[in-house]
Amino acid sequence: MSGAYDAVVIGAGHNGLVAAAYLARAGRSVLVVERRDVIGGATATEEFHPGFRADVGPHRMHGLHPSVIGELELTTHGLLVRRPDPSIVALLANGSHLALRTGVGATQDEIAKFSHRDAARWPEFVSRMAAFADFLAGLYEQAPPVVPPGSRGEKLQLLKLAARARRQGKDQLPELLRTIPMSAAELLGDWFESDVLQGTLAARAVSGLSQGPMAAGTAFHLLHALAASGERVGMTLVPEGGMGSLAKALARAAEARGAEIRTSQAVDRIAINDGAVEGVVLADGSHIQSATVLSNADPRHTMLELLEPDCLTPDFRHAVRNIRLRGVCARVQLAIGELPVFRGLSADGSRLHGCISISPSVEYLERACDDAKYGCVSEAPYLEAVIPSLRDPSLAPPGRHVMSVFVQYAPYELKDGSWDDRTRATLARNVVETLSEYAPNLATAVEASSVVTPADYESVFGMSGGDPQHGEMTLDQALFMRPVPGWAGYRLPPRGLYLCGAGAHPGGGVTGIPGRNAARAVLQRPHGGDPA
Amino acid sequence: MPDRAARRYDVIVVGGGHNGLVNAAYLARAGRRVLVLERRHVLGGAAVTEEVYPGFQYSVCSYVVSLLRPEIIRDLELASYGLEILPLESTFTPMANGDYLVRWADHDQTRRELYRHSPRDAEAYDLFGRLMYKMAFAVKPILQMVPPDPTSFSPRDLLGLSRLGKHFAGLEREEFAALYKLMTMSAADYLDEWFETEVLKSTMSASGIIGTFLGPRSPGTAYVLLHHYMGEIDGAFRAWGFARGGTGSVSMAIARAAESHGVEIRTEAPVERILAEGGRATGVVLENGDEIRAPVVVSALDPKLTFLKLVDSADLPEDFMSALRRFKIRGSSGKVNLALDGLPDFRSLPGVGPHLRGAMSISPSIDYLERAYDDAKYGEFSRQPYMDIVIPSMIDPAMAPPGKHVMSIFVQYAPYALNGGWNDARREEFGDTVIDTLAEHAPNIRDIILHRQVLTPADMETEFGLTEGNIFHGELSLHQLFFLRPTPAWADYRSPIRGLYQCGSGTHPGGGITGAPGRLAAQAILRDRNR
Repeated sequence: MSGAYDAVVIGAGHNGLVAAAYLARAGRSVLVVERRDVIGGATATEEFHPGFRADVGPHRMHGLHPSVIGELELTTHGLLVRRPDPSIVALLANGSHLALRTGVGATQDEIAKFSHRDAARWPEFVSRMAAFADFLAGLYEQAPPVVPPGSRGEKLQLLKLAARARRQGKDQLPELLRTIPMSAAELLGDWFESDVLQGTLAARAVSGLSQGPMAAGTAFHLLHALAASGERVGMTLVPEGGMGSLAKALARAAEARGAEIRTSQAVDRIAINDGAVEGVVLADGSHIQSATVLSNADPRHTMLELLEPDCLTPDFRHAVRNIRLRGVCARVQLAIGELPVFRGLSADGSRLHGCISISPSVEYLERACDDAKYGCVSEAPYLEAVIPSLRDPSLAPPGRHVMSVFVQYAPYELKDGSWDDRTRATLARNVVETLSEYAPNLATAVEASSVVTPADYESVFGMSGGDPQHGEMTLDQALFMRPVPGWAGYRLPPRGLYLCGAGAHPGGGVTGIPGRNAARAVLQRPHGGDPA
Repeated sequence: MPDRAARRYDVIVVGGGHNGLVNAAYLARAGRRVLVLERRHVLGGAAVTEEVYPGFQYSVCSYVVSLLRPEIIRDLELASYGLEILPLESTFTPMANGDYLVRWADHDQTRRELYRHSPRDAEAYDLFGRLMYKMAFAVKPILQMVPPDPTSFSPRDLLGLSRLGKHFAGLEREEFAALYKLMTMSAADYLDEWFETEVLKSTMSASGIIGTFLGPRSPGTAYVLLHHYMGEIDGAFRAWGFARGGTGSVSMAIARAAESHGVEIRTEAPVERILAEGGRATGVVLENGDEIRAPVVVSALDPKLTFLKLVDSADLPEDFMSALRRFKIRGSSGKVNLALDGLPDFRSLPGVGPHLRGAMSISPSIDYLERAYDDAKYGEFSRQPYMDIVIPSMIDPAMAPPGKHVMSIFVQYAPYALNGGWNDARREEFGDTVIDTLAEHAPNIRDIILHRQVLTPADMETEFGLTEGNIFHGELSLHQLFFLRPTPAWADYRSPIRGLYQCGSGTHPGGGITGAPGRLAAQAILRDRNR
């Protein structure tokens, strides 16, 4: 036995840290146990080559929910969120590019280079999407409604939602209901004619999904990202100093309130007695006592690996096994001796502080997805690159830079074999070759590269299926269906066990909301017991 | 209405397809004087039988009767007007490895066959059937109601919404989750949760892609799996069947029933324009210049054709027009009809057997279907298409001369917007692709073809007036169903022009030979009689 806590959080990913901070803030004694020797989970900035550091997981935030930033006073703990301008520069083979700027008017000017009609429609699109996202955001504030409702409280919650929906009015509500199940391709095709504008927005819609932009429901994913952040469509949010500094700020916020964080402590299983949580058992055999355990691991790992099989009914285990975790993203980190000079862009990198996107059209993305459907890495992948050393020179030796490239689609399961040194090298080469078509000096500038594949996301970060979203963010795995129908309220079957990661409502992306909502669910049920 | 005695018609129905005829019959049955105007020389629209090749009756376009509502059969006494549904009892899928899968009407026989492929699937199949049966009950009331407008405060809409809310609230939580999954998942993912046999999953998922511009891995394709079970709960007949005499005889039976109630039907009477004055429908003008007046005009045509071609756009509000322009109606399928000198001999199940009396599905794997879709996404017809084949003459020998047969092949995908456009050469190339694909499974097919009719989506548009060749008058994707079909605020069969109604498959509950839109539209019209 090694002490008792009011709550133990398994995993120091950003959601786990958020949950811990909220619990500590409410006066609970909290211990966070992290398997790796660093905190942050996939939100980490690590050295991949001597002297070069870069984000290993996501390189931008969906945007921590404003209430998380405020309630945890993250700014005072060192979090500084930047909105680079341009937020996205989408490159085209002919040397031109589309820039999405932080200002609506400035973006219009950029879009006008491709289509005056699209430029004229941009402000309306932005405000429409914001209004839809605002509606979703209301659903993200708390556990999703239970349908069909049972108790009076559940009925009330659903009626409130219905009333809120009807308040959207004749203009808004049918459009919202129509948009959610649409494909991104259909939605964007309704609004715009420019291929690169459609492609670049569609890329954000499919980012992290195994689906292509022509698949129904991908419009929802576009709105999801906006709802989680309260940001405008097409914006990029990055924490100053990389994603690792977000994790650090969260850890400080948690520790300042008394939470304890232990790294290099792997949890072997969650101890259950008579249907209730007793604590966790670490890999070294030691027990930590607590009547409340929050798991920041994905739902499959939590329920199938950390729990003894007899803790769950066969039906429940079946439902958990059916959660689709299909990682399709990889990351290639490049140590580069000089800044890439993109054709059509000035060599000083002044436009490269945001994301560099290879997303020339919806068709390009769809073809990239086609490869993955049959178990192959996209021949021409969707790429989103950042050069964080432009802003923060400490990430690379003087005069040199790091470039970190998000790659989609790179499926977890490869048709021909598995992820090994050869397939990694192929992926890195493919990425460098693709980018070199836009920045010819890149190929020779690369000094070293490191590849993080979906297999690595699983083995290093513990994400089942290599899926950073802890369950694909499709409509059938969202809201009251997440993680499994009937259990969307953060609580899991053994008494005192909660899910606080991206596998819980409202889902993936660096938002902190699952952690916040899970902590609130714990606080509503004192000491992990059932409500009276 | 004082002038009623002076005018000849209360209602004009534009389009003598099955929904137009159902609508007319219901209105006449309620005492309305109804005129149906059909552009072609035959009735039925896409539900038509024609002797394209002497002695052979082709169900040219629509080829199986799936969900014709039993209340329509009953109300209109269609059986007494010659409607006879012959059950289509099996689905046979030849596989690439020389094996096959057949699902029979007989439960035990299917179970034995599934057991051969996977004992686990044989067990799961029964459980799956039971769940689908429950799900069919859960959606049935929705298919039978005029969609309420979720934004409206009118008593009728509020009543509809509360009925809907009560209905869903009455479902078990597991049932609701299962229904939600069916509505939002892809057929492939949904079936993956149940089965392991690839050919079973691919054949079942094929029913989810028919008429859509989606692949089996696209979300939104799962709910059509329900269709197979809808027929069963109605108790009228099994899921799929033929009409004796071909699909056209469904239309003919409805037409006769309509005429018995006094409906007047004119063929070769193409409507050029629907007339409106001061926001009210007043009648139609035929292509020959004749003007026929009536206070109510019902269009059985698809929404785009109705409102963007036949109605003066000055009479319609701009938001309605833009919603219509965004309505997705991409055609994705073609049809090949064959007159045969004999029967196909399948490599995997040789000889003449009961499997030729049912459907033959060329859907060996999910990847096969998905690749077929991939071609279409980029503007080509599938090099290896999905095909749903039936030989109506096996069940109804009168469809072909003795010893000879007709074969109907539904083919997907064939995009309307083919790269370079459809022409005679491309049509024949498409036809060749279909025959080549079939010949891989039944090599003798080439030697027994007496006549071949190939319909591309472009042909379906010109022949049958289906915009973009879409057989469902608009894609059946989630964002185009129920109160969103065809456009928000106008999903109740009405339109911005008073007295102008819609009753085709472009309205709830959509395509297939169900007659439901025609019937529900008639209900809406009769309720509005005092407007």
